[in-house]
Amino acid sequence: MRVFGYLMWFFKQEKKAYIVGIGLLLIVAMLQLIPPWLIGVVVDSIDMGSLNGQDLAKWMGILALSALAIYVLQYLWRVMIFGSAVKLSRQMRERLYAHFTQMSPQFYQKRRVGDLMAHATNDLSAIQQAAGAGVLTLVDSLATGLFVIATIAIMIDAKLTFIALIPMPLMALLTNYYGTLLHKRFGVAQAAFSDLNDKTQESISGIKVIKTFGQEKEDVESFRELSSDVVAKNVAVARIDSLFDPTISFIVGSSFFLSIVFGGRMVIAEELSIGQLISFTTYLGLLVWPMLAFGWLFNIVERGRASYERVSQLLNHPVDIKEKTGAVDAQPSGDLEVDIIDFKFPNDEASALQDVSFILKRGDTLGIVGRTGAGKTTILKLLMREFDGYDGQILFDQRSINEYKLKALRGSIGYVPQDHFLFSASIRENVAFTDPSVSQSVVELSTKSAHVQEDILGFRNGYDTVVGERGVSLSGGQKQRISIARALLMDPEVLLLDDSLSAVDAKTEEAILSSLKETREGKTTIITSHRLSAVQHADLIIVLDEGKLVEKGTHEELMEKQDWYYRMYVRQQLEVLVERGGTRHD
Amino acid sequence: MIEKKQPLLSGHDQWKALTRLLTYTSPFKKPITFAFVLLLLMTIGDVLGPILIKVFIDDFLTPRSFPFEPLVALAATYIVIQVGNVFIMYFQQVKFQEIALKIIQQLRVDAFSRVQALGMRYFDQTPAGSIVSRVTNDTEAIKEMFVSVLVSFIQSAFLIVGIFIAMFILNARLALFCLVILPIIFMIMKTYRKYSSVFYQELRERLSQLNAKLAESLSGMVMVQAFRQEKRMQDEFGVTNQYHYNAGMRNIKIDGLLLRPAINLVYMLALLIILSFFGITSFDAAGGIEIGVLYAFINYLDRFFEPINQVMQRLSIFQQAIVAASRVFKLLDEKELEPHQHPESSRSLEEGEIEFRNVTFSYDGKQEVLKNISFRAKPGETVALVGHTGSGKSSIINLLMRFYEFEKGDILIDGESIKKFKKEDLREKMGLVLQDPFLFFGTVASNIRLYNEALTDQDVREAAEFVQAHTFIGKSPDQYEQRVVERGATLSSGQRQLIAFARTIVANPKVLILDEATASIDTETEEAIQVALERMRKGRTTIAIAHRLSTIQDAEQILVLHHGEVVERGTHQELLTQQGLYHKMYLLQNGLPQG
Repeated sequence: MRVFGYLMWFFKQEKKAYIVGIGLLLIVAMLQLIPPWLIGVVVDSIDMGSLNGQDLAKWMGILALSALAIYVLQYLWRVMIFGSAVKLSRQMRERLYAHFTQMSPQFYQKRRVGDLMAHATNDLSAIQQAAGAGVLTLVDSLATGLFVIATIAIMIDAKLTFIALIPMPLMALLTNYYGTLLHKRFGVAQAAFSDLNDKTQESISGIKVIKTFGQEKEDVESFRELSSDVVAKNVAVARIDSLFDPTISFIVGSSFFLSIVFGGRMVIAEELSIGQLISFTTYLGLLVWPMLAFGWLFNIVERGRASYERVSQLLNHPVDIKEKTGAVDAQPSGDLEVDIIDFKFPNDEASALQDVSFILKRGDTLGIVGRTGAGKTTILKLLMREFDGYDGQILFDQRSINEYKLKALRGSIGYVPQDHFLFSASIRENVAFTDPSVSQSVVELSTKSAHVQEDILGFRNGYDTVVGERGVSLSGGQKQRISIARALLMDPEVLLLDDSLSAVDAKTEEAILSSLKETREGKTTIITSHRLSAVQHADLIIVLDEGKLVEKGTHEELMEKQDWYYRMYVRQQLEVLVERGGTRHD
Repeated sequence: MIEKKQPLLSGHDQWKALTRLLTYTSPFKKPITFAFVLLLLMTIGDVLGPILIKVFIDDFLTPRSFPFEPLVALAATYIVIQVGNVFIMYFQQVKFQEIALKIIQQLRVDAFSRVQALGMRYFDQTPAGSIVSRVTNDTEAIKEMFVSVLVSFIQSAFLIVGIFIAMFILNARLALFCLVILPIIFMIMKTYRKYSSVFYQELRERLSQLNAKLAESLSGMVMVQAFRQEKRMQDEFGVTNQYHYNAGMRNIKIDGLLLRPAINLVYMLALLIILSFFGITSFDAAGGIEIGVLYAFINYLDRFFEPINQVMQRLSIFQQAIVAASRVFKLLDEKELEPHQHPESSRSLEEGEIEFRNVTFSYDGKQEVLKNISFRAKPGETVALVGHTGSGKSSIINLLMRFYEFEKGDILIDGESIKKFKKEDLREKMGLVLQDPFLFFGTVASNIRLYNEALTDQDVREAAEFVQAHTFIGKSPDQYEQRVVERGATLSSGQRQLIAFARTIVANPKVLILDEATASIDTETEEAIQVALERMRKGRTTIAIAHRLSTIQDAEQILVLHHGEVVERGTHQELLTQQGLYHKMYLLQNGLPQG
């Protein structure tokens, strides 16, 4: 029941809906007492032969009216209570999403998207259940149970009520017991199912091996065995599941039997009329549901509590990257001075960067090269403040980047990531990501600079072509160039190209680089690359190795040194030759 | 998982899927008949209860006469029926569920067998996740339908018929009046189904949009933050969230209008009919009214509506199951099968001579990935394939393994077309070592043996020793019984490769096909692998894809491929003197030009 405490803020917020909804629920519980009572009255009148048309019409009128009232009220409380519960899940989902937008990349590295999704879907739905069905079950089963028992004890006979109710607690006990058993066996059955799922997954991933060894039949046999196991475990579930109905039917039947036997004796003794006896048994029928509901209630609130706690934990996760108080709001522009003495990724022993320092004049182009894992991307991440906490400092326009507001700093930076992520939206929306209101001509300008316009116009729907997971699949090079166009559209003070030309051919690479030179006159560009041709014309090139700066200079200077850069350059030239089939042609 | 938009099935398609599902019941005729007999007995017992009470009320209670013996007999009958029914009800329910589970198992095995029979082309085109989903999740949805919808539907139908029969026996005229509620319920069901199928579908779609949006935002959050679009994304998410909310509310409303409250209303109407009937009858036939009959009718009404409520609440499960079934059937009807062998294929691979004769091949029918490839490997010879990524090396192996069908040219084994050999024979005599040595969940021994139970522990051990895998296997306390987790993640890539070698060698193939691993392998196993490879090749015809040219210097023939064509061929020395592509590749791998 603790979940109701957790949700108190929401109940308060939706006071009106809950108070009215619960009120209606109580009224319905009372109105439902009318039909059995009417049955008794009519039966008695018939039994005594005292029924007349007028009376009958009156009774039937009451029955019809209460039926309609129950219908309307049942509809209304559903909308109020279940509707509020849906509202709760919408509200919490929104809050969770807002929180997600503030979490740092570090947070996303630690958690799998699937887990986060599970919180936003399964957990929220369990909380919704608690706020809807949970509230309903609690109120309704309590109210109906108490009203019915009070009615029959007061209006009909207390002793008979007591006798008839003797078997009922047994039902609550037994169904609760079955529930625990069922839960356990269900868990076992789920595990068997998930084994089957894993097996299928594995067989499909390893289909080539299975085919290679001609083991298809054997594999199907092993699948059949596993699926037999699933059947066996599910039959075990069915054995418990099937206990519910007979048990309920037996206990309700005994309760009826007891009331007919003892009630019959009371009729003879003239302590009870036949009509009362019949309405008594009808009332008993109303008690079945609250008994069962109590079993479910515990389940619902328990799940709701666990889910709520998980979601709260997520919502309370602190924001990693904080802005300094009094941070500058203006977007920086100017020289970049990087002086990193030491940086380690959180929870990492080894240094990711060590003694890396350089000065990049405004308007210059910097090339960062080195092996995979040398720390090229890390420098960019620090620049964008995806991570904090390093020895040393990074100055942008003579002020530490920590002194700027995050929005201001990132407003000066256009980032083209390595894993060119596009959203499931049209190409236009992807390119105009930073400003959906820009005109078509601006969009076209940046796609032209990124040399992807021709590709786009080649699609049947042009700029309206939907890309991403559910759209057309683009080649790696097309994705990269759209990512570049997206960054160019904001005409950033600093453009970061993180190995963003790896999938385009040499010719296109050259064309893009030269158009960047043209359009970005006076603005700073940083290019990291595997391919040295991409940084060849940079004003400054730094070579990283295991997080350390090992060479620094222009292309010509580095070639002269005949060190790592030089060797790599010669090697790459040869690679290009092999790719082209060994002959030199353009 | 992000769900794709589900196509709305037409009524005809739904019916077709349902009838096809029902054909799966035919092997279970006997148990089904048995379950139905139990159900019939149970229904009779259920219906008899109120009749006995009616007898008690009308014959004993109303006239206030209580002869001891008949009364005891009546009570005894009631108790026996009640208790007996409890047992019948239990067994009947278990039986029905058991049958449903077995039907689903058959469907699952069928689907899985079909998957095994499909060609590699199918796997290229279909994401693994969606195939798995067909075999497990979709069949699970159908199980839900069998267990909770069909069974309760049948039970309800029996009960309703039984109740009406009893009503007609007790009072035909009143029973006739009560028939009125059937069309009303039918109408409500039809209306509900009509709207809810649309609304429910919409809710599911909105939910999957919401999830898609969320999943995408979560994976792209770094980009959202880098471009400072947090606020805008929140707003967009808010809109999707709102749509989902609206769809949820619409469902609550339609459920409120047409589910339990509506059925409750019909119940009240039926009550009204019965009470009025008895009331009006009592006006002119004084004393002729049997109160017991009234009791029985009211009691029947109470039992009548609960199953209807349950069936209606589960209609959405039915809808989903039908969609799931149609997807499973689509998989079962999939035509992209493995390449066929010649029907009278009976040749058995003896010598191991392999020849490609003018083979041209394309995966998609448009772009040719192999152009007019010809070469011959005499028994015991090694032919090495080298070339850049995408040059066609792997395609040659794919054809040789019959993963894909080719149309132009021919592949000859021992001078006979590969299509004339029995598939089993080819699989047995040709051993392929894949670049990614896929290991299955199990033990080291089970991964070497695969499903071949004829292999003794000794065989397994010898194979491991032969490929030098025994050294590291022997170091583990559990030796050959050590656990291999999913994909062998606890082993190094070199160790995985050695196990894969053992797996191939234990089958003692005539022809060896090697797709050399490019993955970085630690120096310790690197050496072992080289020794193992050399040993394995001895006395076997070998077709090898080599990424490291050093490993194939002694090959009888080296083919250099570029864009699907053989551009150079010869021995290592011959190719080096040609100073062509091979020479450049060699330079690239063996230290660079001096400088």
